[in-house]
Amino acid sequence: MSTLTRTQAEFIAAWHAFLRRRTAVFFTFFFPAIIVIIFGALIQTQPTGGGLFTEPSGYYIAGYLAVVILFTPLSRVGSTVARHREGSRFEKLATTPLRRMEWLLAQSLVNVLIIGIASVLLLALSIVITDTTLPAISLLLFVPPFVVSGVILFCGVGSIIGRIADSQDGVIAASNALALPLLFLSETFIPPALLPRWFRPLLELSPLTYVVRGIRAVTYTDASTGVIPNLAIVMTLAGGGLLLGALAVPQAE
Amino acid sequence: MTSALAARDVIKSYDSVKALDSVSLSVNIGEIFGLVGPNGAGKTTLVRALTGTTSVEGAISVFDSPPDEIDSERIGVLPQSFRPPSRLTPTELINYYGGLYEQSRQPASLLAEVGLDTEAADQQYETLSGGQKRRVCVAIALVNDPEILFLDEPTTGIDPAGRRSLWSLFEELATSGTTLFLTSHSMDEVERLADRVGFLSEGKLVTVGPPSSLIDTHGGDSRLIIDTSETPERCGLTEVDYRVKPQSNQLIIEGVSPQDISDIIMTLNSAGASFESLVWKQPSLEDAYLALTGKRFEGVSDQHDQESVNQ
Repeated sequence: MSTLTRTQAEFIAAWHAFLRRRTAVFFTFFFPAIIVIIFGALIQTQPTGGGLFTEPSGYYIAGYLAVVILFTPLSRVGSTVARHREGSRFEKLATTPLRRMEWLLAQSLVNVLIIGIASVLLLALSIVITDTTLPAISLLLFVPPFVVSGVILFCGVGSIIGRIADSQDGVIAASNALALPLLFLSETFIPPALLPRWFRPLLELSPLTYVVRGIRAVTYTDASTGVIPNLAIVMTLAGGGLLLGALAVPQAE
Repeated sequence: MTSALAARDVIKSYDSVKALDSVSLSVNIGEIFGLVGPNGAGKTTLVRALTGTTSVEGAISVFDSPPDEIDSERIGVLPQSFRPPSRLTPTELINYYGGLYEQSRQPASLLAEVGLDTEAADQQYETLSGGQKRRVCVAIALVNDPEILFLDEPTTGIDPAGRRSLWSLFEELATSGTTLFLTSHSMDEVERLADRVGFLSEGKLVTVGPPSSLIDTHGGDSRLIIDTSETPERCGLTEVDYRVKPQSNQLIIEGVSPQDISDIIMTLNSAGASFESLVWKQPSLEDAYLALTGKRFEGVSDQHDQESVNQ
């Protein structure tokens, strides 16, 4: 039995389990959509004055995608770890051939699929609502690697949160406490120029910053950073996140 | 007989509490070993130690390997509070857990073997009854057709008929060469199933032996329990050749055989003593546990009453 077949078995089970949580499915897609509607349609971006956002609408596409890339893996994997612990599932899995890395990889792939679908819908919604034009070829080539790497990275972080928090409630509280500051302090919706000068170097510490910069480099023509350097950083962080996340998956007690 | 698992001087401590205190035991291939003890005795900790899911001091080997190095294709485990993904159906759960092994059983035959009907096999796990859920959990433990099976309270929550059908299944598995290590709250379960029983109390393995041997050695005499507020003298029982112990609203007569019961009833009637009921009890594993640990076992137990006479 190979890693592939074990991961596949775990993936299929996790995918079915997710699809049958209708509330989770609904809010996975509804939450980012409502963000786009609120920020893109209600508040709007009016660089000449009047809107809350100072940049053109295309600038914020990366931020919208960052919402799903950050929040969904953190809360889903974290709560899945907590649920598994409460049901002694890790104790059971520890006595099967499934390895911790395979478990987390399968969970990450489920998230990649979910967030991949959500990202497509989100991009379509953004284009419709904010009247933004996006370069199709670049989108096809470079946005998926950022989405995949970003999701894997935050699945690893979610696993660590699930290990540390002792319940599903604890996971939700911890993931929100981590995700909210990251969301607004990673060049998503607030350009660095609007932050105090002394704080700007701290943006470099957020892994989400590189995801956002990379996606923005693809989707926004006036982006100030390149695709490849950010992709290299995000992929490296994803590898590290997957490794640390796998180590954090509880073996038993 | 070759040993399937062996533990020597196993110790597990949580802060100042010793969950396992120098536990040593061995289980032979094809044997059913039953471990009994009340909540907190250390049963689950011992199962975790034997399956390598908790670290302990001491030496443990399963098929001559440390438990965390054993080929997981060879073992099956049902943790005590195991709850599989609740939105999957039993068929999907068997496919899922089976997919983690080189070879696995087919869902339909396995679920039928644990007594789950075909209709329930395609319902989501969370909609099943408690007994059906536990049967699915047992099926999951069997999915890889293991050589040794660790079952931590496998029949908890299952109705009596369901328990008996699972007992038959466990017996068939043992007959076919599977080694079973099971913990239980039910003395009847281990008495019926186990080739040997271990009594665990406060982390210590007090004794190990075949159930009948433990009962013979430590269970005491059979006894007749009379529910009455009368004294032995008033009942005319001082004349008979038995040991009579008065307790609150009861008289306990030790060493009574079934053939003696009618004589005692006649004695009671002759003396004009009033009594509410008579219960004759054989010595049980529970009595042996009480004698050895000094603690009454408060697990699940069917009545061992062999004869009950209500007046």
